[in-house]
Formats: sequence, structure tokens, C-alpha cells
Amino acid sequence: MHRSDLHAVRRPIASANGLPNGHYTDPALFDEERHAVLFDNWAGLGVGADVREVGDAVPVTFLGMPLLMIRDRSGDVRVFQNICRHRGMILVDAPRKIEGAIRCPYHSWCYSTEGKLVSTPHVGGPGQNTHEGIDRALLGLIEVRSHIWMDIVWINVSGTAAPFEQANADLLARWSEFDKPLHHGGADSRFALEVNCNWKLAVENYCESYHLPWVHPGLNTYSRLEDHYHIEAAGLYSGQGTLVYRQLKGEDDQTFPDFEGLSDKWDTAAEYITAYPNVLLGVHRDHTFAIILRPEALDKTVEHVHIYYAHSATDADLRARNTAQWKEVFEEDIFVVEGMQRGRHASGFDGGRFSPAMDGPTHLFHAWVASQLERHRDVPLAAE
Amino acid sequence: MKVLETAHDRALDAALIAAHEAGDHAALVTLYTRAADRACDLNTACFQLTQAYVFALECDDARAPGLRARLVAHGRETP
Repeated sequence: MHRSDLHAVRRPIASANGLPNGHYTDPALFDEERHAVLFDNWAGLGVGADVREVGDAVPVTFLGMPLLMIRDRSGDVRVFQNICRHRGMILVDAPRKIEGAIRCPYHSWCYSTEGKLVSTPHVGGPGQNTHEGIDRALLGLIEVRSHIWMDIVWINVSGTAAPFEQANADLLARWSEFDKPLHHGGADSRFALEVNCNWKLAVENYCESYHLPWVHPGLNTYSRLEDHYHIEAAGLYSGQGTLVYRQLKGEDDQTFPDFEGLSDKWDTAAEYITAYPNVLLGVHRDHTFAIILRPEALDKTVEHVHIYYAHSATDADLRARNTAQWKEVFEEDIFVVEGMQRGRHASGFDGGRFSPAMDGPTHLFHAWVASQLERHRDVPLAAE
Repeated sequence: MKVLETAHDRALDAALIAAHEAGDHAALVTLYTRAADRACDLNTACFQLTQAYVFALECDDARAPGLRARLVAHGRETP
């Protein structure tokens, strides 16, 4: 396989280049990133609100891998490979509620919501449901390591990452004031945007504030470029913050309730961080949001947006306005990420340069991706 | 396996097909249990009991433990 040269990406920002074109256009490098960047780390898959009630099951294809998010009988969210241990048949092909057991539609092997194989009908012949060669204890659903934080279902497909709280300790500490129940706004507070670009371009754009006055001129009226600051945790996460967050107000000046116990900083601050690799997060005194980037192909990504509030009951009209406001902002970014994707087919492009003053958070993401690829490449092939 | 032959059996067969088409799990549990109870030999009975048990498991039907117990009693399911 062609291995891209990542040396220039890892240089200090003033002399660094971005990731080479192949990381946006070459299927072999996309596959390498699938393992090195997305499977080997804690990637966002969905949200707990997708499976609100016990038994709710949602199939998700993540980078070609069929997965099943389910809320088990104990109320815990689990992620399994969405296949029967018998012949590899897809178990659940559309979101639905599992009333009792997950029954494979092929030969009806049944699994509990905890993944235990509970029935193997006729496996020993008609009417004989056991066979000495079939040890049910060894044939439960294949569970994918998962963790819930900020209602996001994070998965580590390879199982090799450090525990979530350890891998993301710095970010968890930074936003510990938001470590409290978050209430999904419901159907009016979720939407998805299909964008024709590699998933990384959405991250790169999200990380920096440099583009705000040009791409989001509407923000200029109260949130100027100089009101923003960089968030740079090398090797961990990056993004931007603002010092002048202004709450959305209804017709009679009502606002969303604040999260309890926030420090004064959050009266006017808001922060927007990418939790590497694929989750874009935003926190404000009165709401948070998460954008989970699901790569559908090398040059196609779906952005799944979810907005959360401090209380379960909030004003529906205000919620709708908040959703519309964010949707407009995120849609304004689409021509940029799609334009950069097309630009990556220019054969002479060297990955581009970074503004040493303004692009630090974006360069950190490039450098982190490069570090993950180098780590993966250092693993002897026999051990992969 | 003994083929369903009588008018009653043909009616049961038709009801089973209808229940399958409708995805009516509760009816499937009832009908397969009835087929098991009418079976002329143990193997056929256990086949039908297994069918009833699987659909009971799937829809968390309260009859599942009893069906399982019958299979266990005949050595057809793990105790």
C-alpha cells in the first residue's frame, strides 16, 4: 500500500503542511485511517437519546461495520456487532423495540438484550435445541467497547484505547461543570446534514474561528473574531471559545434555564471543541450540542446534530428557534468543506499551509491524525 | 415429522400461515403450542414447542418459561 509522507504535517505550525491529498482522495488511505484513527480511538457513534427506552434498538453502519445500539433490560446502553453468531446474518435491519429477545430472522437463534445467546432452535435436529458442539456461553453477541459521556455513545472498536475517562481526562476536567444530566430537546432538536466531503474537513473547519467573519457574517454583529480564543490541547482535543455568548431570548425575553452550579466564566463564555476523532461539541450556559460525524464514504459524511438543555421541559418555540439558528450556521459551512474536498483533487496541492496565529487548533488535529497513522504504521504487520 | 392431515390440522396450518404473515407473535405462540399438544409423537411435539418457545421469547410472552420447562423435561433444552 502507498504510505503517505506525514513528516511535513508534524512540523511546527509555522512551517507545517496539512495532510497530503491522498488522505482525502485515496481509498487505501481512507481504509488506513478507518483503523488507525477511528477504530483505535474513542469515536462517537450515536446518542443515548437514540435508544431512550429499554429495548430500543437502532442499527448503525459505522465505516462499513454493522453495529447495533440497544438499551438493555438494566437500562444500560450497549453496542454490539449487528450479526448472528450462526451465519453472520444481520439481526436488526431497522430501528425498533426489542420486547423480549433479539431473534435472528434467518434460523431464529435468540439473544438477550445483554447479548447472551439464549436459544438455538433445532440446532441439534428438529425439536432438539442443544448440541454438544454449540456452547452458548461462547457464542453471545460480539460487544463493542462503549462509554457514555454527555449522552454520546463513544465506541472503541479495536478495544485497544486507554479507558475513556483516562483517554479524555483533560477534556472531562475542563468541562466538569457540564457533567450533569443533559436533556435532549427531542425530535425538534436533532437533524442531520449530508455533506460531500471527507469527515476530517468538517473537523478542520470546526476547530478554528478564523473563518467566522467570512463564512458566518451574521455572527459579526455581536461575536467578533477578537472575542474568540484558541483551545489547544496537543494530542488530545482542540477548538475555540468565545467570550461574548449571548443567550437566545423569546418574545417576552424568556431564556432557556441555565445549567446549575456553573461558574461565572460561563455567564458569557461558550466553547466549541472537537473530541478527536469525530465528535464536535459545544457548551453554553443554557444548552449544549454534539455533532457526530459519521463517515459514509471517503468523500461523504453525515453530520448528526443533537441539542441538549438543562431541563426536560423547555419552551418549544424557543427550542425550534435555537435549532434553526444552529442549522443555519452549520449549513453555512457546507460550501467550505465541500469546496476543500474538491480542492483536494488538485494534484499539486501540498496539503496547504496554516496561519501560525489563527490555525493552531486545526493544525493540532492534522498533527494528531498523523500521529495516529504513524503509531499504526509502527505496529508490525503480523500483530495487526 | 408427521404431516398435518385432518380438517382441524388444515385449519391450524392456515391459521399459522396467517399469523406468520401478520407477524402476530402472540398468536404464533398459541397456535404452535396447540400444534404441539395435538402432535402424535414426541419429536413433532418438541418441534412445535420449540417454535412456540422462540416466538414467546421474542415478544417476552409470559408463556415462555412454561414452554421452556416442557422442552427441558423432554431433554430438548438446557436445564
